[in-house]
Amino acid sequence: MKLAFVTPRYGTEVIGGAETAARMLAERLCLRPEWEVVVLTSCALDHLTWENSEPAGTTVLNGVTVRRFPTASRRTLDYFELDGKLRVAPQAASLADARQWIALNGPMCPGLVDAVAGSDADVIACYPYLFATTVDAIAVAGAPVVLHPAAHDEPALYLSAFRRSFRDIDGLVYHTRAERDLMEDVFHVGARPQIVLGLGVNEPAGGGRPGGAVLGIGDRPYLCYLGRVDEHKGCGMLADYFAEYKERHPGDLALAFVGPVSAKAPDHPDIVVTGTVSEADKWDILAGAQVMVTPSAYESFSLVVLEAWTLGVPVLVNGACAATMEHCTRSGGGLWFDSYRSFEATVDRLTGDAGLRDALGEAGRSYTARNYSWPAIIDRYTAFLADVVARGRSAPLRTVRLEVPTGGTAYVREGGGND
Amino acid sequence: MPTSSPTPSSLTPDAPVPDGGAAADTAARVRYLDEVMAEIDAEVRRRRASGDLPAGLEAELDELFLEFSPVGLQGRARLRETLSLVDGSAYVDIAVPTASNKAVGSYVKRLIRKGLGWYMNFVVAQIVKFAWSVSRMFHVVVDHIEDLEAAVETHRSPDLPADTVPVAGPGPAWWAAAAVEALRDVHDRVLVADCGDGALLDTLAAAGVDAYGVDPSDLVLEPALARGLDVRAEGIVAHLDVVAAEALGGVVLTGSLQWLRPNERERLLDLAASRLAVGGTLVLHSTTPEGWAASVTPVVRDLAPGRPLHAETWAHLLGSHGFAVAQPVRGGADHTLAHVGADASDAATVNAAIDALNDLLLGPTEYLVVATRER
Repeated sequence: MKLAFVTPRYGTEVIGGAETAARMLAERLCLRPEWEVVVLTSCALDHLTWENSEPAGTTVLNGVTVRRFPTASRRTLDYFELDGKLRVAPQAASLADARQWIALNGPMCPGLVDAVAGSDADVIACYPYLFATTVDAIAVAGAPVVLHPAAHDEPALYLSAFRRSFRDIDGLVYHTRAERDLMEDVFHVGARPQIVLGLGVNEPAGGGRPGGAVLGIGDRPYLCYLGRVDEHKGCGMLADYFAEYKERHPGDLALAFVGPVSAKAPDHPDIVVTGTVSEADKWDILAGAQVMVTPSAYESFSLVVLEAWTLGVPVLVNGACAATMEHCTRSGGGLWFDSYRSFEATVDRLTGDAGLRDALGEAGRSYTARNYSWPAIIDRYTAFLADVVARGRSAPLRTVRLEVPTGGTAYVREGGGND
Repeated sequence: MPTSSPTPSSLTPDAPVPDGGAAADTAARVRYLDEVMAEIDAEVRRRRASGDLPAGLEAELDELFLEFSPVGLQGRARLRETLSLVDGSAYVDIAVPTASNKAVGSYVKRLIRKGLGWYMNFVVAQIVKFAWSVSRMFHVVVDHIEDLEAAVETHRSPDLPADTVPVAGPGPAWWAAAAVEALRDVHDRVLVADCGDGALLDTLAAAGVDAYGVDPSDLVLEPALARGLDVRAEGIVAHLDVVAAEALGGVVLTGSLQWLRPNERERLLDLAASRLAVGGTLVLHSTTPEGWAASVTPVVRDLAPGRPLHAETWAHLLGSHGFAVAQPVRGGADHTLAHVGADASDAATVNAAIDALNDLLLGPTEYLVVATRER
């Protein structure tokens, strides 16, 4: 059986959750001898510029065949103008405007779309929903198409062009039930074959150092955040909440932000910001944390929650985030906050009650082992794909391919101009 | 602050399937979590009442949380908080920032701001006026919604004790063969409501029918999930709500059908009719009111939100929703009394009485109705 993944960018350098998920799935799937996996992607690694930074052609990355195609244009400032106009009332946007938004969002890869149209794969898996590569691949594919939406409740989800495109898919693979509920609510795809798959978790690979030593804080107790340090991930809120907490509850407790910093790093004597760390250091820091905090309200799966649980570390999540809340309520492995008051009370309770931390950590560990081991994930995924292939391609409505936008001023990342 | 877990349907993993012990373990852990969050909730209320945090600061910190929260699905439960965000955004500041990373840039920006101030002020004043009007309208709408919610709450039926709610039984049923026969030739997918362990889905698959199922109970679905069947932990009405129009070739209704409130029953029929393709088949299995009354406890009988209907009533309702209905088939538990022998004294009178009893109380307690969507 041959599977072609279609994803806007691909590579170990790509940090995005959906793209990383696609790569993890592809790498595990190609270990099954009965499956042949090819990835069709762009030459770009930067989703803000779509600059062709990788050479076109075929390479092999961690056992996966990767075919790269150049993007036809960089992202232009027209995208931001149209995005500002449509995001206020995306449902009311015309089909033409919505298609234009998708084209401007990119990446527009004519060669990739041609490759999908001529692909000899038994099934095409598009990942994630938001990009032009997905919409065009659905439009031209001859083989059954499975969509991994990786959807959030965001304005773009409500654009009519996506609704029209998704009529032509043959199966859906979700990270969580919350994502399924959202997609079904917006697109009425309840009758489509679907599976709530999630992602597998890697085995912990720590270097054996105490987390406090890695952070340079000795044996002080600490909370940790893992991932991109970004305002949109709730990091600013977490830093402010923690600063207020420390003001009201002086003591040894520290907070570590671990991951690449894309916003201004929080500045507080009890907050440590590590930047990007090695995999071994990441696991060591996580293992030593009293609690792992994920303040983001916009997670579609949150692998780091499951990584914390593989080590028996309890989590504290944002009560407005459907995905992380689902993990906590299904497993019993974490608590949540939805205001400063509840943050304060929950941190007090967690840091002051080792028995509670152990119980939550163990519940999370059990849940992760039961649901998110890689062999079980791949077994379920391959069974689902085989089922979709057996059903064949539905009679698609065949939306036409997006038109490559012309003209416009190329967007340049901050610090590189555009001021 | 949400302290209770979602409905039981979301408490157990979708797959892979834990064994019974793991499921019970999960349920216990989730109960523990609920208890802890209830304690934290109580502590939050206590601290809030103590006034140890200045109200202005607390509001500012809570605003920070809302700023990074989705306003879509989550917002439904927090209308007032979302509305406060609208209020906060209704003011438009005309003091445009003038900082620039080029020395001359800041000067030029200040110059433009000063030069355009009179113009921007005029335009922005109208925008702010419009925004405040919209905001006031939202306040009126939210007031009405809250009134409606309070009114709806007074019509809510009490929940049945959890251990008295029956779940779909495992294994094939007496009506499975007839259901498969009715659905054998449909072209689109078939939805089986209250599919339980998936026995009917297996039978349909063996007959070449592409079927999937929903059931409100996660635990009941576990065997079906273990076999890789496409099943979801959802109620039938909620599920049909997210299915596209005319997307289904067939629908099988059973199980919770007997519990539906009249308004839910009407909604179910509307949805089933619109989600079935024209020519699609609806298979409905239920219990007679008499059979149901005899099989449930007094508590369930008294508190159940709805009651089963007779086959003739379903035929009437389906007909009024655009279905052509075939003659109902009766089956299931049969407690009919046999006739006494012809040589018994007053045999004719006794047998007539037995016939009457059988018809009224002791005959087959279930039925199957097959209907085709005509329009």
